[in-house]
Parts: sequence; structure tokens; C-alpha cells
Amino acid sequence: MKKLFIALLCTFSYSLFSQDTVKVASMLTPDQQAELDYNSGLEKLKNNDYTSAIDFFTKSIVNKPTFDKALTNRAVALTQAKRYVEACSDINTVIKLTPKNADAYFTKSLIFFNEGKKDSQLVALDKCIGLNPNHAEASYYKGLLMYENGEYKLAVESYNKAILAKADYAYAYNDRASAKRAMDDLSGAIADYEKAISLDANQAFVYNNLGSAYRENKNLPKAIESFGKALQINPKYFIAQNNRGAAALENGNAKNAQTDFEEVLKKDPNNSSAYNGLASVAIKNKEYQKAKDMSTKAIQLNAKNGPAYYNRGIAKQMLREEEGCCQDWKKAVELGVSAAKSFINTDCSE
Amino acid sequence: MKKLFYILLTVFTLPLFNFAQQNVEFEKKNFPDRKDELKEAIKELREGDAIWDLQQPNVYPVAIPHYLAAQKFNPNNAQLNYRIGVAYLQTHEKGKAYDYITKAYNLNPAVDEKIRFYTGWVYHLRSEWDKAITEYQGYAATLGGKQKEELAKANKRIEECRTGIELAKNPIRVFIDNVGPEINSSYSDYSPVITADESLMMFTSRRPGGVSSGLSEEDNLPYEDIWVSTKNGKKWTNARNIGTPVNLELHNAAICLSPDGQKLITYDGAKQGGDLFISELMGLTWTKPEPLGKAINTEGHESSASFSYDGKDLYFVSTDRKDGLGGHDIYVSHISEKGKFEKAVNLGPPINTPYDEDGVYMMPDGKTMYYSSKGPGSIGGYDIFKTTLENGKWTQPINMGIPINTPDDDVFFVLAANGRHAFYASASMKGYGGQDIYRLTILGPEKQPLLNTEDQLLAMAANPISNLKTEAAVAATGPKMALLKGVITDEKTKEILEASIDLFDNEKNVLLATFKSNSSTGRYLVTLPAGRNYGIAVRKDGYLFHSENFIIDINADYIEYTKDVALKKVEVGSVIVLRNIFFDFDKATIRPESASELDRLIKLLTENPTIKIELGSHTDSKGSDEYNMKLSDNRSKSVVDYLIAKGIPADRLTAKGYGETKPIDTNDTDEGRQNNRRTEFKILSK
Repeated sequence: MKKLFIALLCTFSYSLFSQDTVKVASMLTPDQQAELDYNSGLEKLKNNDYTSAIDFFTKSIVNKPTFDKALTNRAVALTQAKRYVEACSDINTVIKLTPKNADAYFTKSLIFFNEGKKDSQLVALDKCIGLNPNHAEASYYKGLLMYENGEYKLAVESYNKAILAKADYAYAYNDRASAKRAMDDLSGAIADYEKAISLDANQAFVYNNLGSAYRENKNLPKAIESFGKALQINPKYFIAQNNRGAAALENGNAKNAQTDFEEVLKKDPNNSSAYNGLASVAIKNKEYQKAKDMSTKAIQLNAKNGPAYYNRGIAKQMLREEEGCCQDWKKAVELGVSAAKSFINTDCSE
Repeated sequence: MKKLFYILLTVFTLPLFNFAQQNVEFEKKNFPDRKDELKEAIKELREGDAIWDLQQPNVYPVAIPHYLAAQKFNPNNAQLNYRIGVAYLQTHEKGKAYDYITKAYNLNPAVDEKIRFYTGWVYHLRSEWDKAITEYQGYAATLGGKQKEELAKANKRIEECRTGIELAKNPIRVFIDNVGPEINSSYSDYSPVITADESLMMFTSRRPGGVSSGLSEEDNLPYEDIWVSTKNGKKWTNARNIGTPVNLELHNAAICLSPDGQKLITYDGAKQGGDLFISELMGLTWTKPEPLGKAINTEGHESSASFSYDGKDLYFVSTDRKDGLGGHDIYVSHISEKGKFEKAVNLGPPINTPYDEDGVYMMPDGKTMYYSSKGPGSIGGYDIFKTTLENGKWTQPINMGIPINTPDDDVFFVLAANGRHAFYASASMKGYGGQDIYRLTILGPEKQPLLNTEDQLLAMAANPISNLKTEAAVAATGPKMALLKGVITDEKTKEILEASIDLFDNEKNVLLATFKSNSSTGRYLVTLPAGRNYGIAVRKDGYLFHSENFIIDINADYIEYTKDVALKKVEVGSVIVLRNIFFDFDKATIRPESASELDRLIKLLTENPTIKIELGSHTDSKGSDEYNMKLSDNRSKSVVDYLIAKGIPADRLTAKGYGETKPIDTNDTDEGRQNNRRTEFKILSK
């Protein structure tokens, strides 16, 4: 997530400033030298050579201390180099120079994100939105922040503003859909995912999300269809394939589910989820020894796979390994699978 | 081509030769070379016929050995096969009827006017529902307009098959385990009865080694006796005969145990057509069973009984009463304070029907009843039904389903208090011989597997977020109740004590029941149905009472508490925690639920007029030290003021607030803090 934000920070900065590459005269004034160094710094930044970029931007700023673009890009480079205090200082200078610069606050919010200071990030985003209520990205990132804080209603409000500012903001529709899902508004989520797809039909992950929303809404045929579209876009997308297997099993098609889980293992041989999927198929087929073996494999690959413990408990119960099944359900509860609690209460007391 | 023709001819004609059996009469012409054997077979046949001709179906089984001897000589006589089949249908070995009835039908479809009824029955017993319906319908079609009773009988069977078809669509998931050779013998073992905690089982057995010597004239087997086994960890101990005076001469059968295991109802078939008796456990010995009295026992047949959880009511089965609805019905009799059984009341519909009801069993949750009925909703013979008492009315009974219920009689089924294990007897599985006792573990609906699924919920988040989707948990719903058990001893000498355990409803301030711990083992067992605030007082003369409080939420899952109690003598320095004194939150106002506990304290002070006590109040560590000290001080004063108002001289009482200074448990958990918030009294002088 963090990596992505850094990438975003660069993208955003380049988009702001790269078109402003400054023309350089033959007889260099300090301002002109500043512009020359600025351009060199920008080139280094694009090549991810942050140390050199910082040096060029510094030279540029020495020649022209009020050069806000150089300050902004040095802040970006410093952020990449994890020198957050200096980055923040630069962006604060920019804000002093241009107090109504909403973009500067937005950049500042991204620096805080990289520093892990969510509260400060939110303050900066609010300042940005206060200066420019139509700043779609700021509203979008505020929505993201709210989502990560579990404040889904506030997240939806922010995504609404982002969409209002930018009607074709496909990602905002996707994220708003996810926030609605978290609030159990499945029909709202499905509508938003579909809107995101109508704006950009090439995103496999949105089809995957749509499939999951349909699955939660118990519309398993549509879920299977959506996961299938995700796989058409990206045949290597084993997450969607695993999800399609799960939906197929729930839809009563153990054979198709088995094929999907086996395909996942061809693409990703150490996929714990797929082994757990095969264990689930075996439980449905009442092949309890196989279910036990498959869930054991899933656990070997991921010791924190709570559902695999849960399933192995079911298999062991049917194999009359009563103590083992209760131990597995207890482990599943420890790993957050609350559904195993009722089994412990009802099936594990002699 | 010729070869193929012969193959086909063989394939099609072989079955004809195999099944086109002829009825063979017991005549010389049919056995020209076996005259002596024929003579012997006819002798056996006549002996069997003599019993058959009594036209009493319950004695048909006595004819079986004779008929089998004759059938060994001539297996192809339709009437003989028919009679053997019908006789087996009167026994616990009904499954054996199939071969004989179907053979009789094949040999001669007109062997008897009821052959299609019995053919239907043998298919019915094998759960071959459609074939059974066809035969029953065929039989019904042969009946004339005046044979209304027979027609109703056939239609009832058809209805049972249709119910079977429906219930078979959603079978109940169970594990069925033979309880093992410690309990089961090569003879019939049946009628299990258990204590609420499954720690003791009594059952009836026809094995040798009982109190009565000799064999029963009815079936040439040892007489019924009651046997007992206790649970040692997960295994049962070797069963032992409960001995005299419970087992007397002839037949003795176990009917039920009281929830605390201290009372046993027995059955004696020789008295007035079958009567119920009661025996009590005094230490390690059972008293001689005494008849339950005229309110229970009549000239009719009393066959089964069960105590309510508090021991104040007895549910039982009886026949031939004026208010009966037909056959065996279930009645309830309230037991007065003096232990007298009051007038029995018929439970009425929907429990009682014009058909037989039997095998009544009250769950210790105080409101669930299991019983067996041959009435509507059965899939054949007696089926086990469940009903609950809601707002004073019994709900519509629910068939417990297949395979708990079978087309044969399913009766004398007992459930452990946890609602998950049941015990019953069956001869239908391969066991140790005769009927065996089985433990049935009810698994509840099928557990659905749980799948890992992942989403990339946020467009900018490349990292997938694991999103575990869980299916709704499906599990057997256990009874909503708690079971409290333990051992009562003297705190200092560790001597086992026989003490009384009073069970109070704190909210209503009423004594619900009094139980006794066993004088030899000190063990006690109390069931606490959900939805109440219980005060429990353990008392014995010469000792301070011990109090416990249990609030069992109405939706609480089944739980077992083990609470060993060490009673303290009335002596200087003894401290008792008063678990049933409640205050308003953050206040010193005594709540009304405290009345029973305070009354006990007043009684103690009245019976010991010289003792002086300190009433100490304690808090947990939440809040400031100063605040807690003040709160506890006020609370102890409130209790002292209450006692003074009730006539206890003030100079015998000292109030003391300890705040949070004397914790008896951790303050880091809810449970620990609850233990620390308490009121105690301490004897200062005698």
C-alpha cells in the first residue's frame, strides 16, 4: 500500500510539474541556473536517482529560494529517500510561499502517509479540500483513509465528493462499492462495481470484487460469471480463480470447484487457500480422509489459515478423531474464525 | 445366432425356475422317503398351531421354535412361513419376519386374507416406503365396507410411510455407538436411565447373575433385573447388579432416576397390571422400592415416569383412566411438600392422542419433554417426539426424525442434560446379543466447509486483503440450562457431609427446590434451567451456610459447573461470602433479589443468639481508592441497617468497608472483578 502511495506521489508530482520544464538561456542568471538545475533534478527523479535529484533541486533552490516547483519536487525526492522531516519542511515553505496552494497540501498529505502519520495526513487533506472542494484526488484519498479507519460511512461521503468532482473516476466507484459492502449495502456495492466496469472494463480486480459482492448476495451464478470475466482479462489472476472455485462449491458444483482449485495450484503451487478449497470439496463429497490431508497441507503452507483448521476439525470429527477436531476448532477460533466457537460449545463437551 | 438364442433363453428362464416355487403341504406324498422326519415335523407344527390357535398375538412368539423346526423340514409351506413371519412381528426381532412373509406371499399370494398387510409391514420395517404403501393399499382394497377398523389401520400405516418418505429427505446426522461390553451382554440389555451429567447409568438386563434364580416361563430366559454402571473418565465401569432390595424375585426394571440421581423409579409388571415404585439412595444403598400410591398406580398399566427438574412433579404413563384419550396416555402428578403424589392430570392433546404414548422423559431444563407416540406423525410403531412448555402450553410435538426414529418401536430414549447424547436400546444392529444399549451423538445439521477468498477491495491497494467469508454456523442446539455438581465436605476435617441444597429464584424470592447431597459420597447434582437468577444455599446444622449465585441467561448454551463446597463450622473467625446480596449499580441500595440471602442470615443470627458478626463489604479496583472505600462502607452499613430493622440487636453487628484493599481474585478480568465485589460476614465472638 505504502509503495503505491510513493508511486502515486511521484506520478502526481510529475504530472504537476513535468510540463513546466523551464527554457534555459545561454547567459545564465541565478534564476536561469536554478531552472537548469531544476530540470536536471527532475530527470534524476524520473530515473529514481533520489540523491542526485535532491542535489540538483538544492542547487536550484540556492539560486532561487522562492522556486516553489523545485521545493515541491525536492520534497518528493526527500520522501522517496525517507527523509520525511526535510520533505515536510520543503512543502511547508511552498505553503508559506503560496498559502492557497491546494496541491501543496495534497502533497503534504502524501508525505504524512509515507511517514505513517494518519492524523496529520487527514489534516492536510482537509486543508486541501477546504481550499479546493473539487479536488477529486484529495476527496478520494480521504475516502481511502476513512475506509482504512473502518469509518465506512465517512468513506462513502468522501468518495461521493470525489465522484462529484470527477464523474468518470472509476477507482472511486470501486472503492465506494467496497465501503458499501462493508456496510452490508450489497445492492449499492454491486451498482458501483458495475459503474466502475462501465468506465474501465479492463480491470480484472473490479470484476473480482463484483463477483465477491454477488457471492455475498447469494447470487452465485452472477458471481461465477464475474470471476470468469476477471480471468478472461487476466488468466493468471489466481485470486479470481480461487474465488470462482469457492462460488462454484457453494453453488453445488463440486466438480467445477475442484477444477478451479487445481488450476490455482498449477499457477501458484504453494497456495494454501486452494488446498483449503480442495479440503472443502472433499468435505462436500464426504471424503473426510482426503479433506483432512488437504487441510493439513493448507496449514503446512500457511500456519495462520484459520478456515483450514476449521475444515480439518470437521474432517477429524467425521473420522471420529474427537480430541483432534476440538483442538483444531480451538486453533481456528484463535485465528479469528468465530464460527468454530459454536462447535466447541456443542461438540466438544463430553 | 443359435448360441445367442440359447444364452438369452437361459437368462430369461433361470429366474422363472428360481422363483416359481410351489407350495408344499405336509403330506406323505410330498415326502415319500422321509416318513419319520415328516411325523416329527407335523408334531412340531401342531404344537405351534396349538399356541397359534389361542389367537393371542402376544403369545405367538412362543410358537416360533416349533414352527422353525417344522420349517427346517419343509421350507416351502406358505402357511407355515406366514405364521413364523407374523410371530416374529410380535417380537423385538421383527426384521426376521421379512424372509418368511415374502416367501409365504411368493408361495401362495392367497395364503391368508392379511398377507398383503403383513407384506406391507415387512417392507415398512425396511423403510421401503413405496413398496409398503402398494401392499397396504392392496390390502385396503380387499376390505369390505364393514371392516372400518382394519381400513383405518391400513390407512394409518400408509400415512406413516408417507411421513417416512418426507422425513427421510432430511435425515438427522448422528453417530451411533454401542456403549460396550462393560454394559451390554450377550442377553438383552435395555431401558437405560442416566443421571443428568451422564455419570451413572442404570438399565434392565435379562442376563444371568440376577437376584432371581431360574428362568422365566414366558421365554425361558433369566428374569429382568436392574444393573448399574458408573462412568470412569470416558469409559463405563463393568455393570453390577444393583442387588436387593431394589431387585426382588422375578422381573424388575429401571424406569427413571431423579435429576440428582438420588431417587429411582422402578417397574413391577406383576402388580395390578404393572405398577411403579420408588426407591431412594441412602448413602450407598437403595431403599426397598415402595409403590407410588393410588394417585399414580391403578388397575391399568403404569409403564414409564420422569421427574421434573426440581423433583416437584412426576410425569408418568398410565392406561384405563376415565380421562384417558385412548391407549397409554401421559399424566402429571404434583408432589406435595410432604412428598404425597397429588391427583394425576392428563396432559391432553396435542401430546396425548387416541393412540399409545409412552417413554416420557422430562429434560432437566424444566420445559422440554421427550416421549414416544404411535399417534399422528409417527413413521411406524412408537416414534420419539419433542415438545416444549411455552406460556403454560405444550407446543405441537415434533418428530425427532430419521434415523433416531425407525419404522419399529422407538421408545425409552433418554437424553443427557447436554442435549447431545441420547441412550436407547436396539436389536436392529449387530451388537453383543439380543437388545444392546447404544449412545447416540446428535451432530446437528451438516457443518459447511469454510473457504478462503480474497478481494482487492481498494483500487489503489495492490496488496490483496484477506476476506474470510464464513457460512452461518450450523450446530445442534443444546438445551438452555446449566448443571451444577460437586462434593460437600467439612472445611477442616474434609469429612463427607450430607447437606441440604436450597435452590432459590432470587428475583421472585421463592424456594424452587431442595436437594440433598449423598451421605456417603457428598456428591450433589442440581440442574438450573436458563433464564433465572439463582441463589444457592448449602446448609447443614452446626455449620454456616454457603451461598452461590448463578445467573443463567435465557440464551445461554449448556454448561456444567463443578463447585465443591467446604462448609465451615459456626466458630469465631469463620468468614462466609454472601454471594446473593446485590446492590444498585454504584450505590449502597440493597436490591430486592437479596431478600432470600438476608433472610438466611437473619435465621442464622436468630438460631445462634450469642454470636456477634462483622459485615464487610468489598469492591473491585475500578474507581479511586477513596471512592471505593466510601462505597463499601455505605454498603456494609446498609446491610447492618437492614438486619437491625429486622430485629437483630445493633450491638451484635459491626459494619466495615474494605474498599479494594482485600481482593480475593485478579482485578484484570470481569470474572475476577465480580469475585472481588462481595459482601462477607465474619464471626467475631460466640
